[in-house]
Amino acid sequence: MFYLTYLKAELLRRWGKTTIIALGLAIASAIIITIISASQGLSASQDKVLNPLQNVGTDILVSRSVETEKMSELDEATRTELASENRVTTDLSKLGKAGESFSLDTFMSGTMLTFASSETKKLTADLAKEYAAGLILNVTHQEGKIPEITAEFQTGGERFEIPGVTPLTDAERAALDAARQKAIADLQAKGIDPQSEEGRRAVRDAEQAAMPERFKGGPSSFTAPSRTYRQTLDMPQTDIKTESYTIAGVDTSKTDIGLILPSQITEGTYFKAADQTVINLSYAQKNNLKVGDSITINVQNASGSGTSSKKLSIVGIVDPKLYTNTADIYVPLADLQTMASKADRINIILIKATDAKAVDATSEKIAGLFTGAQVTNSKDTASKVTGSLVSAASLMNRFIGLVSIIIILAAFIIVSLITVFSVNKRTQEIGTLKAIGWKNPSIIRQIFLENLVIGIFGAVLGVGLGIGAILLLNHFNITFSANVASSSSNIVQGFPGFMRGFREAQSATSSASIGTTANLKLNVALDYLILLIGAAVAIAGSVVAGLIASFRASKMKPQEALRQL
Amino acid sequence: MTALIELKDLTKLYKQGGSTIRAVDGVNLSVQKGDFLVIIGPSGSGKSTLLQLLGCLDKPTSGEIKIDDKEVNKLNDGKLAELRQHKLGFIFQSFNLIPTLTARQNVEAAIAKRGKGDKNKALEVLEKVGLAQRANHLPSLLSGGEQQRVATARALINDPEIILADEPTGNLDSRTGREILDILKGLNREKKQTVIIVTHSDYAREFANKVVEMKDGKLHSEKK
Repeated sequence: MFYLTYLKAELLRRWGKTTIIALGLAIASAIIITIISASQGLSASQDKVLNPLQNVGTDILVSRSVETEKMSELDEATRTELASENRVTTDLSKLGKAGESFSLDTFMSGTMLTFASSETKKLTADLAKEYAAGLILNVTHQEGKIPEITAEFQTGGERFEIPGVTPLTDAERAALDAARQKAIADLQAKGIDPQSEEGRRAVRDAEQAAMPERFKGGPSSFTAPSRTYRQTLDMPQTDIKTESYTIAGVDTSKTDIGLILPSQITEGTYFKAADQTVINLSYAQKNNLKVGDSITINVQNASGSGTSSKKLSIVGIVDPKLYTNTADIYVPLADLQTMASKADRINIILIKATDAKAVDATSEKIAGLFTGAQVTNSKDTASKVTGSLVSAASLMNRFIGLVSIIIILAAFIIVSLITVFSVNKRTQEIGTLKAIGWKNPSIIRQIFLENLVIGIFGAVLGVGLGIGAILLLNHFNITFSANVASSSSNIVQGFPGFMRGFREAQSATSSASIGTTANLKLNVALDYLILLIGAAVAIAGSVVAGLIASFRASKMKPQEALRQL
Repeated sequence: MTALIELKDLTKLYKQGGSTIRAVDGVNLSVQKGDFLVIIGPSGSGKSTLLQLLGCLDKPTSGEIKIDDKEVNKLNDGKLAELRQHKLGFIFQSFNLIPTLTARQNVEAAIAKRGKGDKNKALEVLEKVGLAQRANHLPSLLSGGEQQRVATARALINDPEIILADEPTGNLDSRTGREILDILKGLNREKKQTVIIVTHSDYAREFANKVVEMKDGKLHSEKK
């Protein structure tokens, strides 16, 4: 086994060359391992966001969403429905006496119109393996003191004077009264009713006769000028605060499909009894709420006057994964339907297709069953995602192939050049070996094995470096954000013009609950296959370099041994 | 008695630029077993090319080389390598030791038929050239004379019939050079191994039983 002795001597005694080539291969290998692993980590994160449906065991969503941009194109019936589903009580005086404190939550379906829960019966077993209904509502919360809305108009009391005529003196007035009394007495004597037509004429004539001369100059007329009074009433100044949040009714009969799943609870528990709520992690953080706290919801009574309140105790915190349809507060569906006076109404159905491979076809069939409804599957949700995750992933996807190829090529070229250069330096040595009887196959084996062993060193080193790089990437907790547009948005309809201030307050707060920002930590997994690929890159590089170098060596002539250097 | 080596009208042409150089030009030579032949010629005379042809390191343009009555210029590279390994031993001016191998490993590198006892065999040969005690040294730690002894040991390891030496003393001082030549002369005398030395200087003449001079690719025989 002389060639092994030679191999060991060559690699160890020319350790500088061995190290440089092995390191070159190792770096290429480590970069490939890191790039592919990072890219897979990104893809995994991206899949979670781009296909949030799979996070909740769903393939297809059915809703009656109205796109806010297309509001003007709606037919009258839908427009009316939209308005009625988003009506806010404006007559706060019905809630109590002016000056009293009030708190009112108004449920509105926003752009996701409701439909009867019986609609789900259309989902036959051949279409849906499983489904869950949901009701997601926007809540407008108002609280403060009931304002006193009074508007006073004072009319009458104006005094009209006719210039140029001296008023009656007391004597004249007494004479006029006497004349009237006399006329009435005469009429009564004649048996004529002074209130009758004839009687009144006789009294008037008698008055006229008794009038002083200066009043007899013909009839004097006066017309008051016509005036229109216009007054703008601003909203009364009160301390009413308005907030918006979203609430979702969850189909608690299903635990592996639904807006939230028990497995997504990060703290506390899923609903166990009535009057319980599970709240969104981000809502909990924003409002400093924790398990054990409670949320009170005040709903206007059906009669229209007064409110009744419902206290919900927070039993769990959830990190919802259905990014397109998240809510701040989750309650059992039936509870929400009761609170919102929307018995048997839902506005979203989550469906798990019976045929997992034919989701598109199933979507089409379902769209045919639910006319006017929107049927969404994972392809549609993907387009709603933006943010650094998407940019990073698309960048990765665009360049990973190119970058990998450039790195591999660069590594192969550099390693091959170093190898060929070092083998060229050994021309006399190889010529000598040939001169003393070494045949080409032995020479090729020798040079090739040298490179292969270097390649194996490089592979081991590269895998080590790659694992190190991956651990380092994970250590830095790189987070990407993905913004997911929400399917529902809060629209406020039916506010009279003078409630402008209200609407402004409304729109300022409602934007907060539209869309979700999902922050995903880049988690780069150690995949043996990728490590193997990285190792293969290093070994392939050494094989390529070894083949080139040994081919060159085989072409060297034995007479090179005699050349004087 | 047939000659060990027979050269007939041996010619080697090189093309250099536009012109053709007749490095070896119609050489006829026969070498008997046990000869100690010295080929003397100035540089550029074609003596190195002649040694390459004799050592089967290169093929002639025309003419014939017979070793042991076998026409070697018709053999392929593999057969030539075998021939070199079994029948020929080479000693080079600049020793040509593998720098990463120890003295003993350098000798082992030339062993034709490998088997048990190779290491002892290499040591034995090193012993013969008086270098057993430095067997595990790398060439860079050996003097020029010692390196050439290792090279000589390497040339001898397969008991070749013919030892070819290209300026074996060219890089050595005269005393060391003489020691090498003494070793070669001893082998020539005891084992009847044929020695062919190519040189440009005269000092090897005294060891030779046959001297030829080469000039412009042609041989001029000279009686000793």
